[in-house]
Amino acid sequence: MAEYVSWNPVTQTVRLIWNLRAQAPLAAVKVEALVVMKIIKHCNQTFPTTATGSLVGMDIDNTLEITNSFAFPVVEMPTESHFDNAAPNPAAAAPRAKANAAYQAEMIRMMREVNVDANNVGWYTSANMGNFVNMNVIENQFYYQKEMNERTVALVHDVSRSAQGALSLRAFRLSAKFIEAFKENKFNSEELQKSNLRYQDIFDELPVEIHNSHLITSFIHQLQTPKTAPTDLPASLAALEASPFSQSSVLSPNLDNLSLSIDPFLEKNCDLLLDSIENHNTEVNNYQYYQRVLGREQQKINNWKQKRAQENATRATLKQPPPPRGRVAARLESMLNTRQVEQFSRQVDSFVSSTTGKMFAVKGNLLPGETAK
Amino acid sequence: MADSFLHLARPLGPVSVGTAPTTAPLNVVIQPQAIFSILDHSLRRNADQERVIGTLLGTRSEDGGEVEVRSAFAVGHSEAEDQVEVDMEYHKQMLALHLKANPREVLVGWYATASELNTFSALIQNFYSGQGDGTWPHPAVHLTVSTEPGKDLETRAYISAPVGVTAERAADSAAFIPVPYELRYGEADKSGLEAIANAKDSEERSTTVTSDVEALERAIEEVIAMIDRVSRYVESVIDEEAPASTAMGQFLLNALALAPKVEPADIERDFNNHIQDVLVVSYLANTIRTQMELSNRLATAQLTLGGGEAAKEGGEGQRNNNQRKGGRNQRQDRAPTEEARA
Repeated sequence: MAEYVSWNPVTQTVRLIWNLRAQAPLAAVKVEALVVMKIIKHCNQTFPTTATGSLVGMDIDNTLEITNSFAFPVVEMPTESHFDNAAPNPAAAAPRAKANAAYQAEMIRMMREVNVDANNVGWYTSANMGNFVNMNVIENQFYYQKEMNERTVALVHDVSRSAQGALSLRAFRLSAKFIEAFKENKFNSEELQKSNLRYQDIFDELPVEIHNSHLITSFIHQLQTPKTAPTDLPASLAALEASPFSQSSVLSPNLDNLSLSIDPFLEKNCDLLLDSIENHNTEVNNYQYYQRVLGREQQKINNWKQKRAQENATRATLKQPPPPRGRVAARLESMLNTRQVEQFSRQVDSFVSSTTGKMFAVKGNLLPGETAK
Repeated sequence: MADSFLHLARPLGPVSVGTAPTTAPLNVVIQPQAIFSILDHSLRRNADQERVIGTLLGTRSEDGGEVEVRSAFAVGHSEAEDQVEVDMEYHKQMLALHLKANPREVLVGWYATASELNTFSALIQNFYSGQGDGTWPHPAVHLTVSTEPGKDLETRAYISAPVGVTAERAADSAAFIPVPYELRYGEADKSGLEAIANAKDSEERSTTVTSDVEALERAIEEVIAMIDRVSRYVESVIDEEAPASTAMGQFLLNALALAPKVEPADIERDFNNHIQDVLVVSYLANTIRTQMELSNRLATAQLTLGGGEAAKEGGEGQRNNNQRKGGRNQRQDRAPTEEARA
């Protein structure tokens, strides 16, 4: 149980925070505009490589407020490793790297000096088309929830989906059930049966809310109001086009999501789905192989036991260790894979719903008679 | 957005012999997250502080003619009547930490959250533009963002020239020269800024992240509002309530001419093709999901059927068969769907 006093410069109040084990579970995540912009910047700079960073903020009641963030340094990979698919992705593993734990502690210590909420509340990662369900994310989040602080989240910013119009920022936590299983690596069939853990239960998704400070609100209002008063009507077409009003305004709604280019998105999604099927098959084969080897080993052990028993019946029964369970995580992999596929298909669904809407609109517009029929 | 009344050549700094001094104009580009950082810091200042300062980081174009401010971090400082204290140790450590994670960014200058320039500004400016730890030989950019309550936020960018006759005077004086700046945001920032701007009119200053369909709805509503506005204008011109403008008319005509002229049959065909693609992909994606779930369920459920290793093996094999059969089914299913849609 820890107790600490936190001074909130925004509301000018002192808050006494009691950090008890039995707190209400986190229900929502509130992200400051600053963090949104910082994450977008970082993720885009490194795109398509994964970018990761740390989040700081405050945990108030059952809302996690994320008020600042910083990027994790990445150890540059030598160029030849680009050809090696098996090479671990240093950026994706960065949040749980030892060097970065020190970096994070140092950074948070520095931030405390300038009144930033200096509590680590999680980490963020970039994704491409929702491909974030993988071992790296699981292990990072497990590390955070286990080692650092139970009340932490993973924010996932999907760069490709955000480029299509709507910002894609989601918050995830590992469910308690999954943590339990992951801790003891209970992912063989019997255990899964017992715990009834399914792929839907891996993550808990938390609703994300974007929050602006007063200053940012006024800044945004100011951006949208042109400084100069409306002048006389333009004299010519060229003058009209050159006038500041015809430049797209800074924050005018993003009309990118009216675009009708659907093929690239579908193509990319199909590719990802095919990859997932491939993975799934590999996992199934691995699992089968494991089962066969297990069977054989078991057979051998049994034979040997019988032999020993015959040889020396008086001796105590052997304490033969069970065969090494090398691939117990096999089921975990395929579970993750299924979760990933679910992610893809939801993504496709949501895309389809808006696309069909757009397409019918276009058709209705170009063929006005058809829709009336 | 820049103040357009002033155009000055860049002042010459103290240049070592041999390097050609550059007097090309300097343009400052500010990215939104840097401004947001500054505003955040301004909110988090100590109650007794009038203004706060911090370091600006970013990139410089090759000829040094453009400075892009990408991020900022706060530096603690305290001002009294006759002295100013800036935590330089903190600045150095933080800079080192920041550069570790963002190796491509460099120190470009500093910011303050008050428009006022005073002796302390000159002192700090001279530190940031100095040799060694400063930006020398490039000029250091000084950005002021006024955050006075009740007034507009005012942003100004400056660079400085050394003035002063003696060495002591030169250390605490500087001639600040305003330079033009612009706020630039990338394509990628757009979606984020849009989400942030959604919250601007709400009482709690917050908004939720929208789904695809909601975003589409909003975009369409916006377009409809724009069309309404234009047609209202056109109507009032026809009713001779508003002054007519040839340029405006020409512009609207050009916009209307953008509507494509295509054969109805072509539209029909393209439409059907695409809608089929979309629906088939959606259908397949969901089928794959179901298949995988089924496969996983079978893998964990097989033991309840009794038997031992053999049953397991059998289960596996059967499952694979199922899957293969499923694959064929998918393909068979696909054709009828397409026919159905056609």
